[in-house]
Amino acid sequence: MTLHLDTSTGKTIGVARIEGRLDATNSGILLQKFPEWLEQTNDFVFDCSALSFIDSSGLGAIVGCLRKALEKNGDLRLACLDPKVSMVFELTKAKQLFSIYHDCHEALDSFNTGKQQ
Amino acid sequence: MKTLLTIRENSYAWVTSALQGLAPLLLPICNKPFVEFLVDFAVLAGSREIRLLSDGPLQEVEQYCEDGSRWGVQMSYAHIKESDDHQTIFEKNRRFCNDSKVMVIDGFVFVGYDKKNDYRDLFNSMPDGTVASCTTGSIRLFTVSESNMANNDETPVSLTPIDSVESYYDLSMHILRHESSRYVLPGYGSEPDSYVGRNVTISKSAEIIKPVSIGNNVQILAGSVIGPDAVIGSNVIIDRKSRITESIVLDNTYIGEELDVEHKMANRNTLISPQGAVSIAMEDPHLLTGIKDTARGIGNLLRTIVHTLTAIVLILLLVIPFILITPILAVQGKWKSSRKTCYDHTCKGVISLPDVSIERSGPLSAIAFALSLDRLPTLFRVVGGKLSLIGNAPIAAEEKNLSPPAATPGYRPAVFSYAEAENWPVGGSDAAIVERFYAIHSNPLQDIGLTMKSLINRFHDTTTA
Repeated sequence: MTLHLDTSTGKTIGVARIEGRLDATNSGILLQKFPEWLEQTNDFVFDCSALSFIDSSGLGAIVGCLRKALEKNGDLRLACLDPKVSMVFELTKAKQLFSIYHDCHEALDSFNTGKQQ
Repeated sequence: MKTLLTIRENSYAWVTSALQGLAPLLLPICNKPFVEFLVDFAVLAGSREIRLLSDGPLQEVEQYCEDGSRWGVQMSYAHIKESDDHQTIFEKNRRFCNDSKVMVIDGFVFVGYDKKNDYRDLFNSMPDGTVASCTTGSIRLFTVSESNMANNDETPVSLTPIDSVESYYDLSMHILRHESSRYVLPGYGSEPDSYVGRNVTISKSAEIIKPVSIGNNVQILAGSVIGPDAVIGSNVIIDRKSRITESIVLDNTYIGEELDVEHKMANRNTLISPQGAVSIAMEDPHLLTGIKDTARGIGNLLRTIVHTLTAIVLILLLVIPFILITPILAVQGKWKSSRKTCYDHTCKGVISLPDVSIERSGPLSAIAFALSLDRLPTLFRVVGGKLSLIGNAPIAAEEKNLSPPAATPGYRPAVFSYAEAENWPVGGSDAAIVERFYAIHSNPLQDIGLTMKSLINRFHDTTTA
């Protein structure tokens, strides 16, 4: 899990790349890191292009991050969901909580245009 | 007319990889096994003898269809080689075809027909040749003694390939939405487009929206919404506040709380998106999981203790009538005792059990039967830990069984069977469903209640042995 700050849209947005599996074994790491990331910005895009598997713990961690971002008047948007990961979001109705985009650029642009999916 | 069904393994290989744990030829289409649709059609076309040929395993389908007597036909099974062409298959089955008109249904295809039509005269009057065909199969007519071949322009039936998860899903949904009245689908329904099986518990606050097909032994818990366009298989639990729409939930699947299954297929712990056949195996048992035998560990120990104590009570109650009545019946020749060898609970070993039958003529033998005195000798096996008090009817080891115990989840040979408790004829396929349901869902207290029901049922049983 790595974070870099993107300013290409004129706004500071944290782009976090989530890789591999996000499950009970590593979802705690995300929850631990996210408050540190929140000190740098309130708006985030989670690039899930390399996320191959998610379970309910991982999903809980991402929802937890969203809640923290919203508490700081920010947002967390998701990009590049693998079809398998997307199915878990659909199944658990978590898809309704997030703005989900096909790619990172689209997600980054959405912060400027204010267009949410 | 006779029918040859030739289904090659490579035509259904996708089922084995995408829907694990399912026998491809028994793939449920709106809760009715695929092969049964073919048999129904063959019967409508006037066939009285059906032979199923495949280069893949036939054991499961043979166990399901048996000799075909339930459809009033004679079914037989034979293996073919992967390399066998139509001519070779026909030659190998020349004796079966035996101067009769033969319909050959070739491929893993769904035959679209209408149960209201009688295809007998039509098919008998049609010349030999192809009746219908699609990319993966065909229906052809042959007569061994004749050689006139023709292609029939008008096809009275349609063929749909079932060659992918997507085509299977589309077919099931199409039948459920538009053509359910054309086929005999399993389940009871007071309204059209609604088919509900046995032992289905639907919570008052659950909502069922037609069209739906619900299998046997299904629990739909509070706040759930089933349908529209939902096929729920057998032995399925839909937990609270979940929604199933435009989806197929296959047998033995648990759907967790507050989930939204839309335009998907669920097979045990695997969720499949029909488009593109994307699937994910859930690792969270509270989301999606297979339903297995849960009678293990402490639960099983508690069950054993409850069964043993209840058996001791029954022995104490029955021993005096047994001592008084059975010698008289034995002298009269109405008490017939033998032994039978049955599979034990491990399904690997066997146990020898007393097998008593009472000739029910006269008041004394009626009393003996009503008191279940014939079961007293086996009650001691419960105390010895070899049998359960209530569970499955012991499966005889020497017989060619309907359902081998290894294929019966939670098989527990017992003195009384759950089927007896629910008044189903012991040994039939209905009994197997009832026994399977309770094997998975019953608890020790329920077992006592069901044992009492079995005992009471014997009082009301008026059939003569």
